[in-house]
Amino acid sequence: MAVLWRLSALCSAQGSRALLLQTPVFRPAHISAFLQDRPTPDWCGVQHIHLSLSHHSGSKTACLHWTSERVVSVLLLGRLLAAYLNPCSAMDYSLAATLTLHGHWGFEQVVTMFIGTFGRKLPRQGFWQFQF
Amino acid sequence: MAALLLRHVGRHCLRAHFSPQLCIRNWSLPMAMSICHRGTGIALSAGVSLFGMSALLLPGNFESYLELVKSLCLGPALIHTAKFALVFPLMYHTWNGIRHLMWDLGKGLKIPQLYQSGVAVLVLTVLSSMGLAAM
Repeated sequence: MAVLWRLSALCSAQGSRALLLQTPVFRPAHISAFLQDRPTPDWCGVQHIHLSLSHHSGSKTACLHWTSERVVSVLLLGRLLAAYLNPCSAMDYSLAATLTLHGHWGFEQVVTMFIGTFGRKLPRQGFWQFQF
Repeated sequence: MAALLLRHVGRHCLRAHFSPQLCIRNWSLPMAMSICHRGTGIALSAGVSLFGMSALLLPGNFESYLELVKSLCLGPALIHTAKFALVFPLMYHTWNGIRHLMWDLGKGLKIPQLYQSGVAVLVLTVLSSMGLAAM
């Protein structure tokens, strides 16, 4: 069952790869940071900062991809806990789907880091990985 | 302490092919943990795939293999060690993944916090692995 899910995820990845062809070299740094600076008496709350490096329309897709990756990660965390507490076949299916998607996207990140996106070489990405 | 150990390891790296990437720089804890995060991710993904493939290809079901392992009458220490070795990558990847998600929220990005959260992740990994392996 897990294998069938994996195969279907691979097929859908081809579709998502076609979308990603429009994106620039770097995944845009869509970082929304909740900054809470030194709280002053008149500080009214949190501040949103959006940084978007790309001007292409494809950046929306890449932003969505980035956000979806995080959402799936959080979902998987919840699923692991829920599957242990409440085993049932519906839980099995959703866990298989979430695990497959998370694993596929994660593997894609590693491959992109060392080999680059479609048609582009990023040989120095491994360098930046070691920098962090 | 961990930084000193890693620096020692990096200095004695003898692989000429990787030495520009590995030997000329001081290894740091965040760097090593980041590499381990990706490594454990790949290992876990391969494990899940192997599990799925063997479920399709190998005869019998999971219970029969469990019975097979039980019938080998291995010592409890060996079984505990094997369970620990299996669950350690999963726990490391989970806790470090939560650390990554915290960074994505913009929290804990200062350098001292990086080291503190890294050590916390390692400690949590060992403790939770031991707890789960004992179950």
